[in-house]
Amino acid sequence: MTAELAATEARRATRLPGWLVILWRNRKCRIGLVMLAGFVLVGLLAPGLAPYEPRDDSFDGSLPPGAGHWLGTTARGEDVLSQLIYGARISLVVGLAAGALSTVIALVVGLTSGYLGGLVDEILSFFTNLALVVPVLPLMITLAAYSPVKGLWLIVAVISVTGWAYGARIKRAQIISLRTRDYVTAAKFAGDSTARIIMKEIMPNMTSLVVVGFMGACLGAIGGEAGLAFLGLGDPASVSWGAMLNQANNGGAMLTGQWAWLVAPGLAFAGLMIALTLVNFGVDALSNPHLRED
Amino acid sequence: MRYFLRRAGFFAATLWAAVTLNFLIPRLQPGDPAEAIVARLSGRSQAIDPAQVAAVRTMLGAPDGTLLTQYVNYLGAVLRGEFGVSYTYFPYPVTHMIGQALWWTVILVGVTHVLSFAVGTLLGAWAAHRRNTRADSVITLGSTFVGTLPFFWLALMLIYLFAITLNWFPARGGYGPGSNPGWSWIFFSDAFQHSVLPALALLIVGPIGWIIGMRNNMVQTLGEDYARLARAKGLPQRRIALTYGARIAILPNVTGFAMALGGILGGTVLVESIFNYPGLGRMMLDSVTNRDYPLMQALFLFITIGVLLANFLADMLYGVLDPRVRREVAA
Amino acid sequence: MALLEVRELSVTYRPRDAAHVHAVDRVGFDVDEGEFVGLLGESGCGKSTLGNAVLRLLDKPAAISGGSVVFDGVDVTHASEEDLRPLRWARISTVFQSSMNALNPVITVGAQFDDAFRAHDAQGDAAALMEMVALDPDVLRRYPHELSGGMRQRAALALALALRPKFVLLDEPTTGLDVVVQRTILDRLRELRAELGFAVLFISHDLGTVMEMADRVMVMYAGEIVEDQPAAAMLTRPLHPYTRGLLGSYADPRAAEVSVDYVPGRPPDLSREQTGCRFRERCPVAVAACATTHPPLAPAGPGAVRCVLGGDLPEAGQARAFSPDRPELTTTAPGEPVVSVREVVKDYRVRRGWRTTVTRAVDRVSFDLRPGRVTALVGQSGSGKTTLARLVTGIERPTSGTVAFGDLDVGGLRGRRLTRYRRHVQIVFQDPFAALNPTRTVGYALARPLRNHLGLGERAAVEKAAELLEAVGLHPAEQYLDKLPHQLSGGQRQRVVIARALAPEPSVLVADEPISMLDVSIRAEILQLLDRLARDRGIAMLYITHDLLSARLLADEVIVLRDGRVVESGPALRVIRHAEHAYTKLLLDSIPTLTRTL
Repeated sequence: MTAELAATEARRATRLPGWLVILWRNRKCRIGLVMLAGFVLVGLLAPGLAPYEPRDDSFDGSLPPGAGHWLGTTARGEDVLSQLIYGARISLVVGLAAGALSTVIALVVGLTSGYLGGLVDEILSFFTNLALVVPVLPLMITLAAYSPVKGLWLIVAVISVTGWAYGARIKRAQIISLRTRDYVTAAKFAGDSTARIIMKEIMPNMTSLVVVGFMGACLGAIGGEAGLAFLGLGDPASVSWGAMLNQANNGGAMLTGQWAWLVAPGLAFAGLMIALTLVNFGVDALSNPHLRED
Repeated sequence: MRYFLRRAGFFAATLWAAVTLNFLIPRLQPGDPAEAIVARLSGRSQAIDPAQVAAVRTMLGAPDGTLLTQYVNYLGAVLRGEFGVSYTYFPYPVTHMIGQALWWTVILVGVTHVLSFAVGTLLGAWAAHRRNTRADSVITLGSTFVGTLPFFWLALMLIYLFAITLNWFPARGGYGPGSNPGWSWIFFSDAFQHSVLPALALLIVGPIGWIIGMRNNMVQTLGEDYARLARAKGLPQRRIALTYGARIAILPNVTGFAMALGGILGGTVLVESIFNYPGLGRMMLDSVTNRDYPLMQALFLFITIGVLLANFLADMLYGVLDPRVRREVAA
Repeated sequence: MALLEVRELSVTYRPRDAAHVHAVDRVGFDVDEGEFVGLLGESGCGKSTLGNAVLRLLDKPAAISGGSVVFDGVDVTHASEEDLRPLRWARISTVFQSSMNALNPVITVGAQFDDAFRAHDAQGDAAALMEMVALDPDVLRRYPHELSGGMRQRAALALALALRPKFVLLDEPTTGLDVVVQRTILDRLRELRAELGFAVLFISHDLGTVMEMADRVMVMYAGEIVEDQPAAAMLTRPLHPYTRGLLGSYADPRAAEVSVDYVPGRPPDLSREQTGCRFRERCPVAVAACATTHPPLAPAGPGAVRCVLGGDLPEAGQARAFSPDRPELTTTAPGEPVVSVREVVKDYRVRRGWRTTVTRAVDRVSFDLRPGRVTALVGQSGSGKTTLARLVTGIERPTSGTVAFGDLDVGGLRGRRLTRYRRHVQIVFQDPFAALNPTRTVGYALARPLRNHLGLGERAAVEKAAELLEAVGLHPAEQYLDKLPHQLSGGQRQRVVIARALAPEPSVLVADEPISMLDVSIRAEILQLLDRLARDRGIAMLYITHDLLSARLLADEVIVLRDGRVVESGPALRVIRHAEHAYTKLLLDSIPTLTRTL
């Protein structure tokens, strides 16, 4: 049974969205969902959870972990724990926004390319293939360097316009296989419009693919943001985990032995990635019976 | 033959598109690009050398004319290999600077990429061959989790552990202050010492994608009818795993090999900046921080063309390896 | 001691997130040296699983859960993979169902012979083997994708015989091939067996080929063998009611009177505990004991049967039959045509690099469709019959010639006018599994044409949908409206597809091989339904098929196509009983005949 079928069945049995029910049944995925929920809560409740303002540099600099500052302070005298907690927000927001945006771009390009075919497909496929081979990080850096505005939304935009190609290719292939199915022809003969056929006949059979693509795009976006921030090309106004590592590296955390400042952002990042990967396991296994049956 | 011509056509088209993209990016910002850049340069404390303004203009292909004449001028400059003069390393032309940094990156990335591919593909094939055993889950899960660790953080940890705590290898740079680049044994051993940690960082994360890709592909091919028939034929396990599993499963990885170069070069920017390694990646980052636009643009173009070229070569190789594409792609 | 001894063999599928299925349940049989045994069964009965278990080729989640397979004195079930290797291919080989995938796509055909020789330290002459199956030795240098389906299958057969095995397991070796190609392969196989004397287990769903080829036939149903006896005896006196039903579904299209039987219903769900006889719910001669007794496979007549009645089937209580009941047509019937196809030509342009080749799929074909009459387009794959269907439905435009629907030129329709035309012309698809969206309910599928073409409101559409379901024999309709396709059997799905095609009250119905994907035992039932609907509702039907028997049963008129051209056409009875064209005769001669074994 495919994910779509299972989802349709599950939806009919409960009021929850079908795919969520399916994901919850998978053990790995359940752990991932719980972890992810934890990160989301931390992000949402950051002002309440964090002991200080993340930018408050009124403390002594380069303090080791201790009672007042569980993870110590930065070279500039900011509280590392507070920065860590607020950092969750940036990763989640960028992941969600850039993941969603690049999924939308991928979906639009993939749908148009695959459904229309012909010259439109040739042109769009060319750009997809081009975007696939262009080195992403140098492109990101170039785009970020030229942009007259800096900020979180620039990062989101840069990550989205550089990260949609793989998803578009996969979706195009899926559409091409779906649009020649007999039931699509049948819908044409039933008098349905093209828009309706895409929305009601094709899309429901692509949900798991779209979810997998979205999760992948989120992972990529979170990694991309961290990379840019670590290179000092991130949003200067926000404290993200990548930026923390950048400052820790430049601030000589290694030489002063402030392992917490160095280790904590990396582990937090890894934790979030593991959560998303675990969720992805569930989605992947459902959409790919080969992986499921082993 | 048709397949090869088609791929060559695609290569030419992408090359043109990359060159054009490089032309367009600075023009995406509102206003006159040359003035915007010069204005931004004048925002910095030091005075602007008129030569630097000229460099910007060369890079942009004399931005006074219409977009079309600019484009024609720009294409001409690219064809002649004129990318202007770097103003960080004034008066060296950009190409000279790139030529210096190029080999550092080519050797570091080339060696680690090939090693990663070989190790990853072998491990993945082995995991698929021993699928559903403990070895398989250790390899698959292990690499998945290492893959979630931020790459630059791993690099920092390596420095912390091997350079600062254990003091086994130098932490930063491409060679030590005591040796000068040249054809001497001292220099090479010094450069090797310096490249161990960056290479290690690349080698920890490098094989992961190949492991997962190879394993999943091969598990699939081993489930196909031809692999079952091979079992029915009583072929030795090795022959089945190699010719009926790995031989077919490796094909997508071959295309992936070149396609991944784009991502690897991204990783090099991080690695080189962390280890202060004198390659293209660090140069690119420096050019961004110093607002050395001619250098940055030329670097972007160079890296892109390099990746496109690698992809083209991989496509050619794929055509030789897979008898199916020679006909099917053309049809 | 027999060559192959299977005892109490069970195979269970244990998927991780679904119920376990006992696909093969305590099966036992022997195959003697040189014997040709047929294993006949419909989809899902466990015959291929049984074949794979005998070869020890089951993959997860399937595994042998009990019993044993002993081949030539070696216990195959418990041997290690390494111990099996000398046995494999040298003594027991196989040909899989004809598919692209049975040969390794990246090495040449010759290399796949060589590795078999090398693995067994044998010397072999691959070229001679190729000649044995009437292939050019040059094929050895080619890759599998460069060969046609028939050539690949012959190469696979040659490969199976490479080491002169004592036993060859053939799993649907000709399914999916054209009848003429199938004929040549079967003839070749028969000659080779006479020459080399190997034993065969021939697994197929196709009664005709099994009966023609096998000395002895085993019939499998719901994971069990229900009957086992010599083919000749089975033909004259089947012991199991299911076998009788299957035999009844077959007839010679050239006979004076043609009538076919069908067995309504579907096999039981093998993931559930079974009590009593597994066939009883479909059985026309079931008695009270069938519900409680699970009969053993007991000797009866010249073989064995698993039936409470022990092989004594009452004459009465035959399976249900479909025999066309209409006046014999000698000339093309009068009546205004609904659709007129005149001199249509369809060319396809295939661009290869810079060169363009033109393939003529349909070449100057003309025919009429009349209300209440069925016209059959008969031909092999590539004959242009499906292209003609696409031209009639307006999916494709003719290169030249016209398709007229009344005064309307179908070839010139676009957009909204094409949609309006499709109200009148509907399709019944070949594959009922692909024709229904897996995520949409039966009610939704039926409501769309009703709302779009007839302009019905939501409630009216539901009522009408229920009416349609009743009309195609899905009763009670309320039970089906909310079902998803996968909850229905193949036959039920095809009924839903037919109901959907009827929804906009079309005047033309194009049925593209509507029964070829269905199990043999229920085909006649769907044919009967189509027949009744066309006659009762005055629908003009274009019936596309490769199967002359169904054309004889359903059609008034038959058009035989070859390479896009009409080679023969006329009233069904005349074309099939008194074929004039050599190609029509070849098609008729290629059909396996039950009488040949007698």
